[in-house]
Amino acid sequence: MKLRFWGVRGSFAMSGRDYLRYGGNTTSIELVSAAGDRLLVDLGTGATELAKHLMASEFGKGAGKLPILLSHTHLDHIQGLPFFTPFFIKGNEIRIMGADPTSGISLEATLQNQLAPHYSPLNGLENLAAGVSIESFAPGATFQLPGFSITTAAIPHGSMMTTAFRITADGKVVTFLSDVEYPSPDEPLPQALALAQDADLLIHDAMHSDLEYDLRKGWGHSPARAGVVVAEKARARKLALFHHSPDATDEMIDEVVQRTSAQTAVPVFAAAEGAYLDV
Amino acid sequence: MQITFWGVRGSYPVPGAATVRYGGQTSCVEVRSASGEALIVDAGTGMRALGNKLAGEAQGRPGHYHVLLSHVHWDHIQGLPFFSPAYIPGTQISVYALLTAADELNQVIGGITRAEFFPQPLASVPANFDFHQVEPGIEFTIGAFTVSPIALNHPFGSVGYRIDGDDASWAYVSDTAPFDQVLHKQHFLSGPEPLSDTDQTSLVAMRAALVERLRGCDTVVYDTHFLPEEYAKFPHYGHSTPDQALDICVEANVRRLVLYHHAPSHTDDQMDSIAASYLAKGASRGVEVLTSFEGMSIPIGSAPSFDEPTRPGTGVHDVPQVPK
Repeated sequence: MKLRFWGVRGSFAMSGRDYLRYGGNTTSIELVSAAGDRLLVDLGTGATELAKHLMASEFGKGAGKLPILLSHTHLDHIQGLPFFTPFFIKGNEIRIMGADPTSGISLEATLQNQLAPHYSPLNGLENLAAGVSIESFAPGATFQLPGFSITTAAIPHGSMMTTAFRITADGKVVTFLSDVEYPSPDEPLPQALALAQDADLLIHDAMHSDLEYDLRKGWGHSPARAGVVVAEKARARKLALFHHSPDATDEMIDEVVQRTSAQTAVPVFAAAEGAYLDV
Repeated sequence: MQITFWGVRGSYPVPGAATVRYGGQTSCVEVRSASGEALIVDAGTGMRALGNKLAGEAQGRPGHYHVLLSHVHWDHIQGLPFFSPAYIPGTQISVYALLTAADELNQVIGGITRAEFFPQPLASVPANFDFHQVEPGIEFTIGAFTVSPIALNHPFGSVGYRIDGDDASWAYVSDTAPFDQVLHKQHFLSGPEPLSDTDQTSLVAMRAALVERLRGCDTVVYDTHFLPEEYAKFPHYGHSTPDQALDICVEANVRRLVLYHHAPSHTDDQMDSIAASYLAKGASRGVEVLTSFEGMSIPIGSAPSFDEPTRPGTGVHDVPQVPK
């Protein structure tokens, strides 16, 4: 399985010189199986860059198929949706799958709201030329996608729940635990540990440095240390710090990686926009 | 009066190596009168950095901020929840927009902070918000500024603003298509459609009213999202070309045109070539054409001065240079 980070930034897309090495786009991750099956996690601004690459392939000819998993619908995880060009090509088949944000509003109603005429000239999902299906699943659901097995779990994210994923392909496991906050960073929730058990790569929310976290408790994000605790307890093989703060410059992220690596024997790196990684 | 650009990009923010010089954040302009009064035009992602600066200046004290919105597409409102002065208790934020009622605007702005989109709902943000409906042609004043909304041609409607203050005038004209296709009354167009006589008449009137309002403006900031060859491919997307903006400015006898709302696909190198080619085209027609970049700050109404920094100590010159 190959993986590419197209967006690693939390909350807000950041442009400028201070954000060039790790990247300023918000969450979007592409996974590709050995057989060429493709899966996308989240539709932050990073998805607009991926879209350009996809349009040069079968998606430009209206023959692309793509499942997209949404962790949740905070804006930084869906703001690339109206600009994801494969949606505009007839014949592409795109599934958007996620949990309903609250008991009162469905995933489909939420995305319709994002494209309401006030907010977007697209004026609704029905105007996307591609075949688009919006599929709600219950948190905790497990399901198969072409080339991938998915296990999900609901994890607290401030005032709402987010969905975490364990994604298996080609005998390798990637665990996505972003936008999560445990009751204490030292006591991760059992469902998080279960998803991360023996993962080849754990992608974990590290919005705050350990130093900042005391000021940001309850905001729904983790300090870098939380990812280390999960990786060690669940025996994950590698840890990617993810969902970097918009205020974290490249140099600040370098420092967080250095400090975090010093705490653990698990190999640690900070997720960065760029090349395909072999899992 | 001085205007400063905090976001110059259209549609969505574009981080990365190709946008470091012109900037990747979306629409937001700060206006300052000589006495220091402020207005903010549009609340795109550039508003986050502006808010951090204003919160720093306020040193924790509440203030009153006025935000004029051209319209409420995401790229023009997305910065509002990240405007840090909104989290200082006692702060007042007055928002002005073209909607059928201020209530509707409350719904729309409140809608972007619904639980499924943002962690903190508008109702629990420490600042107090008040919403005002604007109407094209009906002037109003905010402190030292006289503001005149102008109807534009964009899906679901959009307004430009002429802003007068300190005996000088400038106008913000974004987002707008040219005036050969009706966009303003539609929610969505799958492509150009034949025009009825009524449509034709209303477009001619809309364009004429725009030119009339721009007459006497020192500077006009204009939606020039597309190059002509791009416009030919996307003629009904609600945006203009620099050539169309230049025609309007020549007719209205405007001294200076500022290109704005750059397409997300335009790299810094492309922007350099656009800036150079339209500076020359403008000069041949008697209009100074500047290309906006994040951080650009220009005085309105002062005579051009190519040697003197316009704000001592800041290094800002009357003809701003894009950062290297």
